[in-house]
Amino acid sequence: MALISIDRERGILTAEFQGLDKLWTLKSRLEIPLAHVRGATHDPGMAREPKGVRVGGSYFPGLITAGRFRRNGERLFWDVKNPEKAVVIELADAEHYDRLVLEVENPRATVDLIEQSISRA
Amino acid sequence: MGRPRAFDTDQAVSTAAALFATHGFEGTSVDDLVTATGIHRGSLYKVFGSKRSLHLTALRRHLDHEIHPVTAAIATLTDPAQALTTATASYDNGPAAGLLLLAAAERAPHDPEVAALVAEGITALEEALRPSHGDAAPQLASTVLGSRLRLRALPTTTPKEY
Repeated sequence: MALISIDRERGILTAEFQGLDKLWTLKSRLEIPLAHVRGATHDPGMAREPKGVRVGGSYFPGLITAGRFRRNGERLFWDVKNPEKAVVIELADAEHYDRLVLEVENPRATVDLIEQSISRA
Repeated sequence: MGRPRAFDTDQAVSTAAALFATHGFEGTSVDDLVTATGIHRGSLYKVFGSKRSLHLTALRRHLDHEIHPVTAAIATLTDPAQALTTATASYDNGPAAGLLLLAAAERAPHDPEVAALVAEGITALEEALRPSHGDAAPQLASTVLGSRLRLRALPTTTPKEY
């Protein structure tokens, strides 16, 4: 499970990994400039996609997908145990990852928070 | 850094618009979009960024390709009865105003970007009815959109096109 927060003053999105997820993902947190966040989507079906090649982290099919993966030339960061709570965060080319796929407590609220933070309206 | 996209973006947006117009934003999953467009999930995210962004693109396209051409035609009519009949017929059978109305009800209250696009669509209809109805144009536009909504709410045994 990842805890997503937004620091509007610094313009940073932070994903903080909870408990054992720090071990599975080999990360305690990710910090992404909001300017590099292209969008967020609640997408339970994402978990059925082929994962590609694991570069670092943990993969137990059907149980946990966590850490860095490469697929079709794209660099993905996963931290998902429960697909129903998976949120896909698309990042700009300038970022280290193309896409983050994270399990969050409240997907709808998380997507709203991110989309409102990057909205240009 | 992904592979270059090899699909017709306009066709994908059009297909997505039809799904959103039928099932709404929440009722359309990324699985639905991937299945209907035939585009890989990764490519969908790479091109549009998010489901919300794709919805905004679909709504923009809906205004440019369907709403504005119809309202431009209505604006040329000065006879009140003819203008109202044309507007009602256009919105009932012509452009998929269902997408606009669904976005107005479902997304506009929570999403300022959707609200702005919905306002643009409604204003366009109001302005189109102004040459024929003057100050009563906003009221007539509400009537046209309301009747479209009423039509949508009618029970049916066959799948509807919006």
